[in-house]
Amino acid sequence: MIGSLEQLSDAARSIVEFCRFAREKGLSAGVQGTLGALEAAAAIGVGRGEDLKFGLRSILCSSKDDWDLFEECFHTFWRGSGPESLANRGARSKKEGSAAFGKRDSISLMSTGSRDDGSFEENGSLAVAGASARERLSKADVSTLSQSDMAMLEQIALRLFKQMSRRLQRKRRIGCSLGQVDLRRTIRRSISRGGEPLTLRYRERKRRPHRLVTLLDISGSMSAYSLFLVKFLYALQKHFRQVDTFLFSTNLVEITSLLRAQRLQDAMWALSQQRAGWSGGTNIGGSLREFNHLHGRKLRSSDTFFVILSDGWDTGEAGVLSAELRAVKRRVRRVIWLNPLLGLKDYQPITCGMSAALPHIDVLAPAHNLESLLALERHL
Amino acid sequence: MGMSPTPPSVAANQGVDAIVSGFELLGYVADRSLATALYLVTRLRKPILVEGHAGLGKTEVAKVLASYLGTRLIRLQCYEGLDVSSAVYEWNYQKQLLAIKIGEGSDKSVEEKEKHIFSREFLLERPLLQSILVEDAAPVLLIDEIDRADEAFEAFLLELLSDYQITIPEMGTIHAKHVPYVVLTSNRSRELGDALKRRCLYQWIDYPNLEKEMKIVRTRLPHIEQELARQVVGYVQSVRGLNLSKPPGVAETLDCAEALLALGKERLDGAAIEETLGCISKSVEDGAKIRSAGLDKIVEEAVGRVL
Repeated sequence: MIGSLEQLSDAARSIVEFCRFAREKGLSAGVQGTLGALEAAAAIGVGRGEDLKFGLRSILCSSKDDWDLFEECFHTFWRGSGPESLANRGARSKKEGSAAFGKRDSISLMSTGSRDDGSFEENGSLAVAGASARERLSKADVSTLSQSDMAMLEQIALRLFKQMSRRLQRKRRIGCSLGQVDLRRTIRRSISRGGEPLTLRYRERKRRPHRLVTLLDISGSMSAYSLFLVKFLYALQKHFRQVDTFLFSTNLVEITSLLRAQRLQDAMWALSQQRAGWSGGTNIGGSLREFNHLHGRKLRSSDTFFVILSDGWDTGEAGVLSAELRAVKRRVRRVIWLNPLLGLKDYQPITCGMSAALPHIDVLAPAHNLESLLALERHL
Repeated sequence: MGMSPTPPSVAANQGVDAIVSGFELLGYVADRSLATALYLVTRLRKPILVEGHAGLGKTEVAKVLASYLGTRLIRLQCYEGLDVSSAVYEWNYQKQLLAIKIGEGSDKSVEEKEKHIFSREFLLERPLLQSILVEDAAPVLLIDEIDRADEAFEAFLLELLSDYQITIPEMGTIHAKHVPYVVLTSNRSRELGDALKRRCLYQWIDYPNLEKEMKIVRTRLPHIEQELARQVVGYVQSVRGLNLSKPPGVAETLDCAEALLALGKERLDGAAIEETLGCISKSVEDGAKIRSAGLDKIVEEAVGRVL
């Protein structure tokens, strides 16, 4: 029980300290949260530890992640159970089970990548690439390009991707048609004419921007393409408002927040730190199941486009792939499968994985060169 | 924002206890965490955001809170495309048009006419406005499944929850006489905005453990036999471990228990599970998963589980 004012201010101080501690550990509450915590402590009293804990938890948390983290913070701070457990948790941005990918080789993007000195950014020297070179590059298979060609291609690509996403936005705006009559505005206008609704006002349907969920296969068979495609995804995410981006090989790892970096090289650096299964085996079905399980709630049938970039070489069970893709398909507007191998002349999508997936795909398109990637626009 | 000089612990303790026992009387088993959060709702008058999987009684929290406080429950069900005219207010256009026609012959000025047709008489009050207009006592305002509404509505809500006032251009600003107790629920189908989350208390409702779920079943279905209840709860708890696309919530447990009672079953066996599978699994795939896990094995596990 707390009796004197002095002790109370002690309690207040330790609550403030706890809030700061929790914030350092990654809890999202700000200064407002600290003030709220003090109010809550005043309302509940500091006599009963458990109630106070529950009270502080409801004040300081604002999501399930916070909720899980809070328990540890509280324990460490007040029970003194040693800060090691928290240190292990580390920065919360890496919470995407990096341990699961830990054993696998992680090839640094920096070393395998083509030139990566920021040339992907718009830097005014874009006009260097002549029209003919542009033509040639955009049609060439990415896996066959030399390093210098690749760098040039990236410059062109960024600009074109940007234009593409701008066009997509315009298409949305102009595409709106007349909707219901807006009685409210119609009446308002009619008052000056003695209540005769001469001009009708319409209510336009507000279109939400489309949502894009992309899964990129980074297994060994895709290694010639995956690096370029990651950059493509970076550009997509930069210009689309709602994009969720994942990498998969045998497991799934979300990279949405990594790609959100302002500059491409920062994003690539962050990616190289992430120990994903670069050039590992492939388990498309298992990765999709993981996606459905953990991220399925992000899908909304009316406006989500689901894009898979993969060659369809799968070592997992075809049945799982088929079932999981069907589950995805049920919840999205369109499933688009971009397959780099479609650029090969004689390729037929008859591999086990591909043929299992085919019935649930709305669009199957190539993704081996810039032109084919830009063609994605037609399907969105 | 300092702390009060007298120790409130005792009163608070009683407050939290009162909520736990009061809720139980109303048939809702609230754990201390939820009760403390609700106590803070009543004391700090902050909105509370309740998140958790489907079927764990999120909506019920608001309903029971309203009966516990002996006050009105006003409910707004959110959906995609929910807009201000169906959440806050709308003018009764048909009535207004009629009033204009009727008033055509009269010698009232345009201003008078306008004032007339934009009066309370022509106003259709939707849930949010209702909650502001309540005269006698603070109501409980339930904003259900806020994650289904779009961001624009969320922004509007933010404004309402900070000032508890609504502006109707034709009438002026209306302030709340009594600040409502606000309960928001979300299924986490999308992340909510930071600003809104920051304004709310937060409560995560998880799947109950065996003990709590038993208590819930016994509270809601007092005439069920202890043994059957234990088997059903054990069965549902192991089904939750099967990695289904929609794991059964407490609502499903209660459905299943009720179904077994209705079928006159006294024990859980493979046949009984098969007959009531529809209560537990809501898709073909999940049903198949439960079957492939082996009905008899599940029964064995469920019966074997000890409290």
